[in-house]
Amino acid sequence: MAGGADAVATLNPAVRALVGQPILTVVGTKRGDGSLQLNPAWFEFADGYFWLNSNRWRTWPKNVQRDGDITLAFIDASEPFRWASIRGRLADVIPDPNHEFIDGLARRYTGRAFRELRPGEERITLKIEPVSVTGEMI
Amino acid sequence: MAVELSPKMQEFTQEVYPAIIGTNRKDGSVQINPVWFEFQDGSFWINGGTNRGWFKHLQRDPRITLLLIDPKNMFRWAQVQGRMVDWAEDPGGEHINHLSHRYTGRDYQNPRTGRIKIQIQPERIKGSIDGWGR
Repeated sequence: MAGGADAVATLNPAVRALVGQPILTVVGTKRGDGSLQLNPAWFEFADGYFWLNSNRWRTWPKNVQRDGDITLAFIDASEPFRWASIRGRLADVIPDPNHEFIDGLARRYTGRAFRELRPGEERITLKIEPVSVTGEMI
Repeated sequence: MAVELSPKMQEFTQEVYPAIIGTNRKDGSVQINPVWFEFQDGSFWINGGTNRGWFKHLQRDPRITLLLIDPKNMFRWAQVQGRMVDWAEDPGGEHINHLSHRYTGRDYQNPRTGRIKIQIQPERIKGSIDGWGR
């Protein structure tokens, strides 16, 4: 798996512990005009990758698919200056037609399956390879 | 172009949580940092030092995005796209001390020298506080 094992090695135990919690991630992307977009999102860290889910309408997944680049920040709401940030690269976009992945993520955060999908809503899972840890104050 | 915050947004900015800021690195990637802030007189005010990476980014590209999110309810959040319109020295660390009282209820415990105060004008607001479409 190209880069997988090496990439995981860049996350130290404190960062791994942080991303093992059901905290939100803040997704940083660039719009086409170069301006910055920040969105809160659910995520899971597994097998050395960060896994996020969105739909085909939202801007941030479009930005990631255009640039291949993403910044993820992990901030523990109970201790906001215990945080970490990683730079990542889009490794894959996986359709989630039966919304299994988003249901699993929703259960991680809310204990319930995800809401009903809207008419025409297509969910996608974004597989993010961590490239480097860029901010850290744990 | 500066925008005015809605009454709901103005209330939301009075709550106490850090702002999460995004700035543009030279290589085009996004840097994210949590910072203390306050909203007053139509602007967001944050505090830093001239040696901070994010401040250097702002001097090159004044565009900044703030994510405001209720730590107790992840569905209450706003994204503020803005611009650094001014910055000034914070002599005696008066402003950082003021922020410290907002966040911790006591005096700022770290050195108050070399601090700067940064003014950010909001230009576009999105997120759940005003409703998704705005």
